[in-house]
Amino acid sequence: MKSRLFLQIFGTYLFLILLTTLVVGLFVGQHMRGVLEDRIEEDLLTYARLIETGSSGGLKANLKTLAEISGSRITIIDAKGTVIADSEIVPPGTESHLNRPEIQEARVKGSGRSIRLSRTQNIDVMYAAIQSKTAIPGGYIRLSRPLNVIGESVRDLNQSLLVSILILGIVSILIAVIFAYRLAMPIKEMELFTEKLREGQAPGSLFIKGGGETQKLARNINYLVEELESRIRAANEEKGKVYAAFASMVEGVLVLDSRNHIETCNRAFSKMIGTRFGDIKNKTLMEAFRNIELQNAFDRFESTGEPLSREIHAGSTDPKILHVSISSIEGLPHEDRKTMLVFHDITMLKKLERMRADFVASVTHEIKTPLTAILGFIETLQEGAIEDRETARKFLEVIGRQAKRLNRLIDDLLVISNIELGEMKFYFEVLSLGEPLNTALSIMEIKAREKEIDISKDLPENLPLIRGDRDRLLQIFLNILDNAVKFNPRGGRIDIKAAERGGEVEVRISDSGPGIPQSEIPRLGERFYRVDKTRSRELGGTGLGLSIVKHLLIAQEGRMEIESRLGHGTTVILYFPMYKDISV
Amino acid sequence: MTERRHTSSHYEKELQEIKDGLIYLGALTEQAIEKAIRSLLERDSDLAKKVIESDCVIDNKDIELEDRCIRLLALRQPAARDLRFITTSIKIVGHLERIGDMAVNIAEKAIILNELPQLKPYIDLPRMAELTRAMIHESLDALIKGDIALAEEVRKKEETVDYLNDQIFRELLTFMLEDTRTIHRAVIIMQISKNLERIADHAKGVADMVIYMVTGKSVRHMPECGA
Repeated sequence: MKSRLFLQIFGTYLFLILLTTLVVGLFVGQHMRGVLEDRIEEDLLTYARLIETGSSGGLKANLKTLAEISGSRITIIDAKGTVIADSEIVPPGTESHLNRPEIQEARVKGSGRSIRLSRTQNIDVMYAAIQSKTAIPGGYIRLSRPLNVIGESVRDLNQSLLVSILILGIVSILIAVIFAYRLAMPIKEMELFTEKLREGQAPGSLFIKGGGETQKLARNINYLVEELESRIRAANEEKGKVYAAFASMVEGVLVLDSRNHIETCNRAFSKMIGTRFGDIKNKTLMEAFRNIELQNAFDRFESTGEPLSREIHAGSTDPKILHVSISSIEGLPHEDRKTMLVFHDITMLKKLERMRADFVASVTHEIKTPLTAILGFIETLQEGAIEDRETARKFLEVIGRQAKRLNRLIDDLLVISNIELGEMKFYFEVLSLGEPLNTALSIMEIKAREKEIDISKDLPENLPLIRGDRDRLLQIFLNILDNAVKFNPRGGRIDIKAAERGGEVEVRISDSGPGIPQSEIPRLGERFYRVDKTRSRELGGTGLGLSIVKHLLIAQEGRMEIESRLGHGTTVILYFPMYKDISV
Repeated sequence: MTERRHTSSHYEKELQEIKDGLIYLGALTEQAIEKAIRSLLERDSDLAKKVIESDCVIDNKDIELEDRCIRLLALRQPAARDLRFITTSIKIVGHLERIGDMAVNIAEKAIILNELPQLKPYIDLPRMAELTRAMIHESLDALIKGDIALAEEVRKKEETVDYLNDQIFRELLTFMLEDTRTIHRAVIIMQISKNLERIADHAKGVADMVIYMVTGKSVRHMPECGA
């Protein structure tokens, strides 16, 4: 794997070099053999002619010397083919030489040659012969020389060729290495670079030496990397923004994947439903929430494909009313289709809506009751009861009482609506709570005495001063004391204590009445809310007393707490912030 | 390849739809029980009538789900786990449908009782109803999560329901012995209690099927007839 490209280039080079040298070597060797053979033949024939012309008489005697000088074997053959003399074989054999190819060729052309294996020496020998005219008329002079000289020359040539091939090979391999390396290295570098890039590392930029195409390619790669990095950065930033918006949304968001499994949800959703994402991840809506209304809404969305909004009820322990909008996320391919569910918690809104409706119903009911009584008695009077003075007086009393109640109700409603609309005027002054409390007590005393209720009070002389409206404070205490007297049984008791506690003035007003169930306490202070509906109305309450107290307290920065146990009486605790004199 | 993946994902979707359908049906029956008992406790006959009317929703869902199961069996020839899931689903659907019918029974009895003066404040009956409702809820939870431990818990709760049923019976018996005029109402309350006890049995049946689906081991009729 290590630089395959390099091996390929180098291998090709090597192969080409070897092939060339082999072909050249073979061809040169072959050619040289032919050339040398021709030269030897020439030599031999020349010698033969020299012998023919130069030695007329003592040919036989000089044969040995001639053979030595020419470096060849000399055979003299007569016209019949009989060997007359031979420089090497003495005495010559009697075998006829006429059928030898070189002799036959010489008889026809004047000279002839033949190469064949010598029987005695077992090597190739060249025979060259000429027809003699003068020395031995009609005979032949034949010279022969062993050819192993040529073999040696060719071997020598081959050897020197091999050496040169080796040198050439080494040099060309070196060149090939360098060339292949220079070509393959930048490509290898680019490969490593892109590899790093793919693995998500920041590889910096690519630097390639030299010029030409590779450097251009490297420059383009650098440019692409830069572009890619800036795009990724931009995408990440965008993603971060979208995610931040998604996470910090007040609405709960749930995203389903193409198989309708939960893909993701935001924090608001987890909080709204009271579930962790891990518990609902990859589940279907039905698996995760088991909510029939939600499933119905989703099925409807699935069948129509139209975005839709519904109200659903969720949660058994902490019931909630949620408004859900279902729509598919736009701009995704069909097989990657996603669905988004957006939830609004409208529990409070629904509660307020109901309270308003309840209020209207309550007001009409509260007004209707005394009016019905008044109208009824008037009708009875009109139908003749007026003649009976005693009955008429009783009826008129009832009518008066109901009319007063109606008046009281309307007064209370006016007070509340004035406070709520912010139209009530407060005349703030710095005062001690003891004053309005004592005034309220003196007003309530008569009523309390009628029911034989014992009132005890524990008001310290040096009660801290507060800032408030004297008349409104009086109204607060009157309302609470009125309740205490109203709901106390005959002969009960009321305890009033005031003290400073933690920067606030605390006033506790306890009665010994029937008490209020724990579950009802949070609802006290709601308009027309009554714990015991029938009894309260009998006692002449409007159902607005504590509501007014609550609103007046808020306007004077105070607050109210109620403690109660069934059968053990009720304690109303009022807190007022202490007045801090800035000027001193 | 894509074609194959497409079909198998379609198959997965069909299985999921059956699972979702079971949970949906379970939620419907839970709601039916809760409403039926509330109609009794709050003496709200209108609510009871709603329970009776909405039973056809449960019945339709029952038919639809069974149909889906059978079609899947026929067309896909599922094996091993999937086969167990589909066959058990058919049985669970049956159980849930019966539970719906019993909720209707309770609602019908509630309408009769609401016409008569209240015999006594109900104490054990709401507890029993809450227990049975929780049993259905948890057995389906076990189905979703493949949670055998939870299924086993459901099986144990059935004993508590049985015990409550006996207790209600004994209490009503003393009422009837003391005052024969209470017999009519007492018998109806007993029937309601009996219905709740039967619902618990069915919920246990669902839990059994969940155990079978997950482990392949049948725990039905155990320990009564088990080896």
